[in-house]
This record gives sequence, C-alpha cells and structure tokens, in this order.
Amino acid sequence: MNTAQLERECRTYTRFLIGQAPTPYVLQHYLDFHQKSDVMEAVKLDRFDQFLVGVSARGPFWARLADSYASVFRKNSTVRKKLVLTLALLECAPPSFETLDRVDGGGPLGAVIRLGWGAAQYALTLIVSFVIFTPVCLGILLSSGRRPVATVER
Amino acid sequence: MDDPIVVVGSGASGVHFALAALRKGRRVLMLDVGYTGQDAVRPSDNLNGLKRNLPDPIGYFLGKRYESLVLPGASGEYYAFPPTKEHVFRPRSEFRFAASGFSPLYSFAAGGLAEAWTGGCYPFNQRELSSFPFAYEELAPYYAKVSAHIGITGADDDMAAVFPLHGGLMEPLELDEHSAVLLNTYERHRSYLNERLGCLIGRARVATLSRDLGDRKQCSYLGRCLWGCPTQAFYTPSITLAQCRTYPEFQYVSGLYVDHFRMDTVGRVRSVVALSSDGQAREFAADSLVLAAGTLCSAKIFLESIYRESGKAPELHGVMDNRQILMPFVNLRMLGRRWNPDSYQYHQVAIAVQMQNTGQYIHGLVTTLKTALIHPLVQTLPFDLGTSASAFRNVHGALGMVNINSPDHRREENYVTLDVGSTPHRLAIHYRPESGETERLKRTISTFRKILWKLGCFAPSHTVHVRPMGASVHYAGTVPMTDKPAPLTSSKHCRSHDVENLYFADGSTFPDLPAKNLTFTLMANATRIAEEAF
Repeated sequence: MNTAQLERECRTYTRFLIGQAPTPYVLQHYLDFHQKSDVMEAVKLDRFDQFLVGVSARGPFWARLADSYASVFRKNSTVRKKLVLTLALLECAPPSFETLDRVDGGGPLGAVIRLGWGAAQYALTLIVSFVIFTPVCLGILLSSGRRPVATVER
Repeated sequence: MDDPIVVVGSGASGVHFALAALRKGRRVLMLDVGYTGQDAVRPSDNLNGLKRNLPDPIGYFLGKRYESLVLPGASGEYYAFPPTKEHVFRPRSEFRFAASGFSPLYSFAAGGLAEAWTGGCYPFNQRELSSFPFAYEELAPYYAKVSAHIGITGADDDMAAVFPLHGGLMEPLELDEHSAVLLNTYERHRSYLNERLGCLIGRARVATLSRDLGDRKQCSYLGRCLWGCPTQAFYTPSITLAQCRTYPEFQYVSGLYVDHFRMDTVGRVRSVVALSSDGQAREFAADSLVLAAGTLCSAKIFLESIYRESGKAPELHGVMDNRQILMPFVNLRMLGRRWNPDSYQYHQVAIAVQMQNTGQYIHGLVTTLKTALIHPLVQTLPFDLGTSASAFRNVHGALGMVNINSPDHRREENYVTLDVGSTPHRLAIHYRPESGETERLKRTISTFRKILWKLGCFAPSHTVHVRPMGASVHYAGTVPMTDKPAPLTSSKHCRSHDVENLYFADGSTFPDLPAKNLTFTLMANATRIAEEAF
C-alpha cells in the first residue's frame, strides 16, 4: 500500500468535498479502510480506473473533473468509491459533520438558486471532463486491448 | 405437567407468549440462539454528542470493518444498516435455505427481528381478520393488553377508520417540523385526498413511550433511534425477555439452535433437540412445544421433525410477505430549511389508501429522513459528489421516504419444504408473485406520487425502489388457522392439527396478510394463545 499516495487522495478529496483539510483521525481511517478492505485494491483496477484515481488526487479541481466524468460514464469506478468513502468518514467525525449538516439559509428560493448554480457548474465541468478524459480512455483501450494489465500497488 | 412448556425463539411472539404463560403460573423453558449486541454507549448524549464525544465515532457509525459503508454499486437500499444492530441478522451455520423468487431474512438474536424494527403497531381490523377463525372483538382485549405492556403512542384521527382504536394507547410523540408540515398540508387538502385519491393520513402508531411506563422513561428525543434507543423508550422484545427472566418459573437457555422435536408413540411432542455451537446435541423434555422462531425457522423445525418421524418432507403452502416499495421524496416547502436532529427518527405519519381501481388497501409509513447517514443518498444525486454534498445540505430537511406495503394472500404455488438432498437439510422456499402484480405496483406508485404532489412533495420516479419479496420480513401463512381440522393446518388457538401438543405462536398461522406491519398482531395473538389455550 502506497501510504503517501493514499494520504494525498484523502487530503484532496476532503478539500474537494468540504473545503477543509482532513483531521488526522479521518486520515487514519482512510488508510485503515484501504488496509482492511480489498474493494479498492489497485491490482483489481483497470488502467483507466487507475488513471482517474491518479489524476483526481492532484487537487480539488482535478477531483471535480474526474468525478464529474465518473458520475456519468463510470458510476461504480474506484475514484467514486474513494470519494464516497471520504464523505462517509467526514459525516461521522467532528468537526466535519457540522460542515456537512450546515444549511446555507435563504429558504426554498435560496436552495433552488444554489441548486441551479451547482447544476450549471456541474454541466460545464462534465463537458470539460468529457473532452479531456474520453480520448485518454479510448487511447488506453486501443493501446492495451480491452482488458488493460493492472499494476500492483501492494 | 412435570415438564415445562418449551418455547423456541425469543422474538416478539415468543416473549409475549412466555410472559402470559408465566403470569398464569406455568413453567416455561425458552430455547434460543440469542445473539446479543453491544450495550448502549453514552445514553445521555444526543446524536451529534456521540459524534463529538465518542473516542471512535467512525467505528461506531460505520463499524470496525466499515460494514455500514455503502459504496457505489453495492446496494439498492437507502439506509445503511447500523453496526450496533449487526447481531440481529448474524447467521447460524445450521440454518440453510434455497430460495426462488424470495430473499429471506431471519434472525437468531435475543429479541428476534423486532430488535431492528421501526416500531409500527397497527391492529388488524374486522375486515382484515375475516379469514381468521375469530372476530376482532376477540382479539381486541389482547391488543389492549400488549399496548399497555409495551407502550404505544397514537391519536384518534382519520386513521381510526383503518386502525381500530384499542385500549392502552398513549398520547402521540412530539412531531418533527417536516411531519407537522405534511399533516397541516393534509388538513388543507383533506377532501380532495379523501374523495379523489381514497387517501387518509394521520399519526402513526408506534411502540415508543410518550410518558414513563414502569421503569422505562419517556422518549427524550436524542435522535438516536436508528442506532438503537439508549433509554428503552423505544420498545424491543428484549425488554420483555428481561421481564420474563425475573420469574422463577422461567428458564432461558441461549446458544442453542433448535433442530427438531421428537414424538412419543401416540404422536405427541416428547422432547426438543437443540444443537450447541460446538455441534453437541442436547435434548429437553417438553409438556408442550410452542414454536415462535419466526415463520421460516419454525417451518424448518416442523418439517425436519416430520421428516425424521415419517421419512417424508411435505410442502407447507401459502407463505406470504408484504411487497414493499420505497419512495423517497422532497418536500418543496422544506427546501433550504434547517432541521433538528434532536427528534424522533422513525415514521410519525401514516397513509392509508383504498386503491380505487383494484380495491386493495395499501399502507404507507412516512419517515422524514434526518439523522440517517447521508452518503448512501448523496451518491444517488445526478452530480459530482462535491456538488451533490453541497446540494444535499439544503435539501436534507426536505427529504422523506414513504415505505409502501401491499397485502398478500395465501396461494398454493407459494410454499416451503425441506430439501433433504443437502447436508444439513435446507429450507426450500418457492415464491411467485400474483399475476398482474406489476400493473398493480405501477398503479400504486402512480397514486402515491399524486398524493405526495398534493402534499407539496416531489417523488422522482427513478428513485422509487420496489424491494424484493422477502425484504419486509412480514412472513406468514405456512400452517394456517382454520375451523376445519386438516393436515398441516392449525386450530383457532394455533395448535397443530397434526401434533396434539404443538403450537405455533408466530406468523405461521395467519391465514391472510393485510398491508400492515404484523408484529403488533403477533404479540396480541401470542398472548391470546397463552391465556386461552394454556
């Protein structure tokens, strides 16, 4: 298990999801999950899955791009699983659960405006991610057959 | 009469039978696997207090092995099952099954499946009891007794038309804001909903205390219902089991899986054979035997015993379950509103619909989602996870879920039997939905979406989830009560027509299954059997 890579993922995903750094407690559980579970074992991933995980860990912007793409074209991808794991850890732990529970206010109108703004941003990101990642996906498929060989992380 | 009454299983039926028998001075031996969970932690903390104060909140909420984490592609359900209740569905290797068209759930926990129930207590009315060999008036006193014992809250409102008002009902719990908005909206549109959609809405009946009852304190609104009530305000059968254990005539032996019973030369139950976890067989003499292990486990014991005595494995026809639909919704009036986690978390509102085209009575329970883990739902929103988490914060207080139950009836093509070709023998379950079910479900979904819309709520069609048959765990019907003695049936007092001193105190004997949680009726019926037949 590449601990430094996993820590980088957790830091990036937490900043992407709640705009804060993870606490050492959340970080420790992120590593612990990867030790205990083989769901996200790198040996089981195809190369594009690995690529998405690697790209998403570069920073919140890249995490958003990778996840936008995955939300439509790779719903059960590893990057999405790692993000859901991070969200689950954050919602159970202090102080991040309070951030996730906080309501912005403004009533129904404010909520609808925010939802519309979020949807517009998402649509834009999805288009950009499609332009960037589709050629990569096709390239990987064409260069290594339909089942690309995976590398071993641990 | 030297030997005790042997009761198998400590679920809602078993403990209520045992308590009533003990009160009559009878000696009771209860055999049970009896898995238990962890004790309640920090009982005075509310939900957020737990997140702040526990040394390892992630371990508490997600589990030490992250078993309550719901990853993409992992589940069709909307709730993560809490680790604190993991013991409720822990399997036992001796019980095996092979099922077609049915996804069975069963429990070997002390207290049984109702250790993980949501507390709905809905008495069957006269129409729903029309296939039973007794009238509502005969069951009503037992509903009242059980209600006085476990504590049920509810109101005399529109729902009284379908939920008979029985004795022992406590005043309702405090309403959370979202449920109050739903009921207020119903008041404004009552005539339309009643007349055009055949819909009644009112307070749910739940086994949670709105005032102190004996040693149990009233609900303190800690918001921890999903994780296990830390104060016993919410009723589970383990409370009654503890009460039974205070009687000197009661013996509880746990760690045992009951495999079969043995009969004497005149066809009466002589003894019960149970296996300990190391595979050792133990035999217990019985004056009479009461199977209360749940419809499926009781069927397995019954069939195994018949097979050992006769070499034959009959089919028990008529197994039933309520088909359930989960319908998440957003209340548009609640968008962007703050929500209070310190509130009762299970359903507070009930919906009854008389389907106009099919005549079916359909029962819906409305839960306003507040303290459930959010990650299973957030990942279903059609955005990236960052946008979804942000959007979710502002719709969280507006979210709700209707759990819709359909009735079921005994049909010959649905049966359980013993698969003697495997070692150990397996329970074989065969279930096929009634013809036309798909169309009926479509109409039900359409009607409920219209009802919700009238209440100011939007239920996205793609999030509606028809649960597999077996998911509601309202199993019944394998040894039905009947006035006319016939093989593989039971008497009005749930005594087997095949074995003189064998009784079924669980759902096995129900000849019909209305669209209601049957647990309250199980408890009332088990009390009735003990009081009238023993």
